[in-house]
Amino acid sequence: MQHVLAMILQPDPSQASQPVFADSASIWQHMSTALHQSLYRVLTLLIVILPGILAFIAVLAISTLVGMALSALLRWGLRSAKFDDRFARDHGTVDWAPSSSATNLIARGAFWTCVLLGLIIGVSAFDAAYATFALRPNTFLPYFTQIVGAVFLLVAGTLIARFLARSVLIGAVNEQLQYARFLSLGVKWLVLVLTAAMVLDHLQIGGNVVELAFGILFGGIVLTLALAVGLGSRDLVSRSLESRSATSERGAANPATPANSAGDPIRHF
Amino acid sequence: MATANRIPAFTATPARLGADILVLLSSMPQQQLESVLDKLNACFSSRAVVIVTPDPLPVDSFPSLQFLTVPATNTSWTLSAADYANAYQLAGKNEARSILMLGPEAGSLSLSALADLANAVLTTPTDLAVPRYDLPPHGGMINSAILYPLNRALFGSRVRFPLALDLGLSLRMAERLAGIAGRFTPLSQGEALIWPVNEAMVAGFIINEFDSGPRTQPQPPGIDLSTILPLVTGSLFSNIDANAAFWQRSRQLPPVRNPIARSLPMTMALSVDASAEIAPMLQAFHLAYTNLQEVWRLVLPPSSLLGLKRLSATDGAAFRMPDNLWARIVFDFLLAYRLRTINRGHLLGALIPIYHAWVASHLNIIASGIDPEHHIEAVAAAFEADKAYIVSRWRWPDRFNP
Repeated sequence: MQHVLAMILQPDPSQASQPVFADSASIWQHMSTALHQSLYRVLTLLIVILPGILAFIAVLAISTLVGMALSALLRWGLRSAKFDDRFARDHGTVDWAPSSSATNLIARGAFWTCVLLGLIIGVSAFDAAYATFALRPNTFLPYFTQIVGAVFLLVAGTLIARFLARSVLIGAVNEQLQYARFLSLGVKWLVLVLTAAMVLDHLQIGGNVVELAFGILFGGIVLTLALAVGLGSRDLVSRSLESRSATSERGAANPATPANSAGDPIRHF
Repeated sequence: MATANRIPAFTATPARLGADILVLLSSMPQQQLESVLDKLNACFSSRAVVIVTPDPLPVDSFPSLQFLTVPATNTSWTLSAADYANAYQLAGKNEARSILMLGPEAGSLSLSALADLANAVLTTPTDLAVPRYDLPPHGGMINSAILYPLNRALFGSRVRFPLALDLGLSLRMAERLAGIAGRFTPLSQGEALIWPVNEAMVAGFIINEFDSGPRTQPQPPGIDLSTILPLVTGSLFSNIDANAAFWQRSRQLPPVRNPIARSLPMTMALSVDASAEIAPMLQAFHLAYTNLQEVWRLVLPPSSLLGLKRLSATDGAAFRMPDNLWARIVFDFLLAYRLRTINRGHLLGALIPIYHAWVASHLNIIASGIDPEHHIEAVAAAFEADKAYIVSRWRWPDRFNP
């Protein structure tokens, strides 16, 4: 099929050898030739990479099916062997999520390993098909992996930003810092800016501009946070000193007060 | 009491075989140790007793008692998994018929309390003897707010201190607890908390509670509420999760035992001037209300959020948290803990300001002249009344929840 299409779409050599500026009619001829050649190139590219795409889809589908089968088999086998109970008995109570017993985790692990393997095989098949056509072979796969890496960075960065922002928010609220939300937002944007800069750098987009912009933004956020914490923590320090002096005064006033008398500080435990 | 997380090497010769009771003491000052040994000597004059202590022994002061010395464990404020594992193993080696575990600051326990705990496991078919301490109105707040009501509602036990510091154990109870502890000690989690009352309830063992009078409650050294509340509550939530099959069945509570004797004298309750303590707790709650909405919204249903909104509009002496709101909030946090709706550390951290609100409300109620024990019983009753809610949501967490 590839051969037949190539024969049909092959440009006419007699037309290609005509003089460039013959008359006004030849402009249309040149346009037609250019379009013809462009169409030829695109179709040729499609014909060349089509097997690669098909191979990618087929491998991914097959590996997913194999993964599902393997996962079901493992789940059945481990449940029959009461693996979860044995595991809990031998290794203690492990903090599994309710929907993620040891059996489920193993089965899911097997499934996603198969899918990942299929993805790798499919991408390399696609890349092999593409490299035979491209003028600069083996340039697609590295950039594709960079894109995948960038996506992972972005996802991980976003998750970490959210986690840290929440940790800071809850910790700051429990420390009774009035600017808890501001602190949390600062940390969140700090991590997000860092992530964005890493992603762009990973994709080799922007060059020095990204580095410069990142430096300015990061420095700006850190400075803002430092000022906010520095100014805001005056309250915290004064509160801490007040409570300490109050405690010592209470102790000095009633040195013989038993621990369980009324007026003692609250004992949580 | 603490751990060496593993069974320690003994530094003394094994005690004589066939002891009646093995007494495991936690580390304490020499003076306190002597006081405890005096009481034990008086209690067990006609019994074969083995005393296990990590402290240096007073030489020849108590010839009737047999001693073993073991290395101290790491936990200095309560009994831990390693303590239970050690106790059972030592009891086996000395062929003891029962075990008495005394936690830190046990010197403040009365002679009669010690005798009650020991006699229960020595002379009656009791498997677990637990003390009921007389704490001041502002003491043991986590226990009053969460541990006791939750345990009573879910496990059907009226034991007032589920995480008691002193216990009497039969051999089979000790074996069960050591089995539970054995899940933690190989993972270097010897400091993990064990819930003896829950385990006894699940196993169908006999539990007896004894009035023990006042006792000094050792506070966890160097750690604040934001550490201790997640630690204790997280451990209880895990235990509840592990025993879900047990508590989901409906259970009859044992009858109230001598309720009047438990009430605090009203003068004591009224003398609590906690306004200085209440103000910062209310501040903490109001600050959390303005900042933690996004976290609470992930955990709490709209009705509870509305309740918190109403609560945030009150202040000072008028601040009261409805018991059913508190029960519902704790149940929702328990459910979110199970489902991992958010990171568990974040979840328990987000509970702290609401707990502050409960404590502030409780102190206000006490200051208004209500007996603290009556209020705690009312809270526990609210938990019981709402048990159907947690059972239903535990089974069908995705069902519509207004």
